[in-house]
Amino acid sequence: MPKRLSVVPERCSGCRLCESVCALQHFGVSNPKKAAIRVIALYPHPVIRMPIVCRQCAHPKCRENCPTDAISVDNGVVRIDAEKCVSCRQCVVSCPFGAIFVHDDIPIPFKCDLCGGHPQCVEQCPKGALQYVPEHELGEANRVGSVLRYAHMKEVEYVEKGERKKLRYAQIGREQSE
Amino acid sequence: MPFGEKFALKYVGGRGFGAKILYDNLPHIKDPLGPENILVIAPGPLTGLYLPGAAKTHFISLAPLTGIYGDSNMGGNFGPELRQAGYDALVLTGRAETLSYLCIDDGDIQVVPAPELAGKGALDTERMVKEALRSEEVRVAAIGPAGEKLVRFATINCDWSRNSGRCGMGAVMGSKNLKAIALRGGRDLPVADPAALRLLTDKSLKDLANHPMFSFWQQQGLMSVVDYLNTAGGLPTRNFQQNVFEHADQIDGFKMEKEFKIGDTACFGCPMSCGNICLVKNGKYKGTITEGPEYESACTLGSNLGVSDFAAILKGNQLCDEFGIDTISAGVLIGTMIEAVETGLLSPSDVDGMKLEWGNSDQITQLLEKIAARDGVGDILAGGAKVVLEKWPQLTPILVHTKGMDQSAYDPRATISMALAYGTCDIGAHHTRAWTVGKELEAGAKWTDEDRVDIVIYHQTIRPLFDMLGVCRLPWIELGFDERRYAEYYSAVTGIPHTLDELLERSRALYDLTRLISTSRGISRKDDYPAPRMFDLPIKGGQYEGRVVDRSQYEELLSRYYQKRSWTEDGIPPESTANTFQDSLT
Repeated sequence: MPKRLSVVPERCSGCRLCESVCALQHFGVSNPKKAAIRVIALYPHPVIRMPIVCRQCAHPKCRENCPTDAISVDNGVVRIDAEKCVSCRQCVVSCPFGAIFVHDDIPIPFKCDLCGGHPQCVEQCPKGALQYVPEHELGEANRVGSVLRYAHMKEVEYVEKGERKKLRYAQIGREQSE
Repeated sequence: MPFGEKFALKYVGGRGFGAKILYDNLPHIKDPLGPENILVIAPGPLTGLYLPGAAKTHFISLAPLTGIYGDSNMGGNFGPELRQAGYDALVLTGRAETLSYLCIDDGDIQVVPAPELAGKGALDTERMVKEALRSEEVRVAAIGPAGEKLVRFATINCDWSRNSGRCGMGAVMGSKNLKAIALRGGRDLPVADPAALRLLTDKSLKDLANHPMFSFWQQQGLMSVVDYLNTAGGLPTRNFQQNVFEHADQIDGFKMEKEFKIGDTACFGCPMSCGNICLVKNGKYKGTITEGPEYESACTLGSNLGVSDFAAILKGNQLCDEFGIDTISAGVLIGTMIEAVETGLLSPSDVDGMKLEWGNSDQITQLLEKIAARDGVGDILAGGAKVVLEKWPQLTPILVHTKGMDQSAYDPRATISMALAYGTCDIGAHHTRAWTVGKELEAGAKWTDEDRVDIVIYHQTIRPLFDMLGVCRLPWIELGFDERRYAEYYSAVTGIPHTLDELLERSRALYDLTRLISTSRGISRKDDYPAPRMFDLPIKGGQYEGRVVDRSQYEELLSRYYQKRSWTEDGIPPESTANTFQDSLT
């Protein structure tokens, strides 16, 4: 079953452990600027910290814009072929997420390869802001969240076998969510 | 210029490099705010690595607040970026002709005149410099208006609210007409054995995550200390007059989580994410958003001023960040003013007609503004404790400071080892060098005076070691992270096997060096005491009611402390010690 790297920005603390471990994993160096993931933090308006990493698009803009056909999708992973790449940076600027990176020391642009199916950034994220999940789960949390937000939840408290319990229910007759 | 290997190993980095460079330049420095003073900005050899808490960078200078050795560190991303730009230590001296910022782009350094930044807040400045450089990915450390006005406890701020808070390092930048430092760097950080580093940290992150307090720590960070200390009877309240705050539950970590917290932040490389982002959603401070407070600010702007409105603390915290002033010094000085007016030591006319009272957050906000602008009484407060006492010597019994530095928010009256820690801390009454409150409360009944001295010296050795390595001490203090692992890290980075004891020895020697810097400026035994209040005013409230620091026991501890450090009875390191620091940097 195909899996996807999914980002939950609300959980990200901006610690950049993902960057550090990525650079060590791929280039063997301590250099967050050589990571295929980068945390962008904005504050105080708006307040958000978000890791930017390749979504492994099924129809990637980077591939579309590559003049030398160096980019392919291989088993769900978007790859740059070092033989074909002329390092023109078209992919870097055409990625809508900015998830392809460059560095002076590295001859061609580089990007996430999902660490062969064991993404180390996910492994080391201390906040659960990076997840590696089966594709069918994508969006599920949001779907359930939307339902809960829509339903005007009411509570009733009751006692069962001496234990206080709560039951929630949606109120009938209210039409709009907040 | 490249440092020599011998130098690099002996002084390690961070505060070690800074202290040595300051010491070498000391003969030329008259005034901390003169152009001749130097500001050393030094991360450590572990800063920026894949390692928990590898975020710290140190600012070292002759301190404007105290006139003696000073250092203060910040977390966030500034230190890692500085190292990636190619610097283990940046030494700033002189003065720019016009207000400027420094732009360091991977080894290329430019001084950029920026008169348009005059009077801007530290956060606004960070934003404006990023806009001028057209990048969100540069790191910008900036001072606020208080730094420009040479407020002697002005801070340097980066990454929204990571502050080099104490000693007045922001005023040193201000005195150099330097409003901000912008950084970008992409260099590899030197690590002799990257595979060992990787293994160590994969394990370290697991160990930390498995600690039973890990998730609670992520939730509250240092804000958990409010409830802990109030319950223990050690939460400074109303200018250190009481030790229990009746409204502590209104300003503690639980209150924060329930009503104000909207997110976590972490410094570079840290899984603990102790930073809390708080937003005020209702009331007169609605729309206030800040990263913080942490414990010190919650106390010094909260219980210690009788403030029970958490939103007001957040407002005060935000203003301090924007103005660029230290929440501890500001809070302690304002508390002193309130008590002085309340008890008649000062009259309202001394404080611009303000009828100061506990818990009045409007007045506190107004005083913060006055300090940052050096307006009226704010101009006196901006000078720090020493200037305040020159003006009003009658405040001596109530102003809580050592060597001119306002005391941190830990009361030492129930734990005399903490009194010794404040008295002998090399920058003034700060808790950073040794924090022994928890240990003495738990086990102190069995301690001899010798134990107390040993424990203070051990803490004053291991904690500054973190400041030399460029890492945060909190994984060790709060989540039981094994300190020996830092020796393993240092060995992996240098490629030279080191034991913890070897590193501790270097840190211990460095304490002599910072002392030498201060004794050359007149510091001696007479200055090594906690504030008079700690001896004279019994604790009110809580299980330690009635306790004071026993003066004769303190004198004995101090003498014993000097003996252990091989200093004279007057607290001066011997000539032979000074000779060990004559080596060259290259």
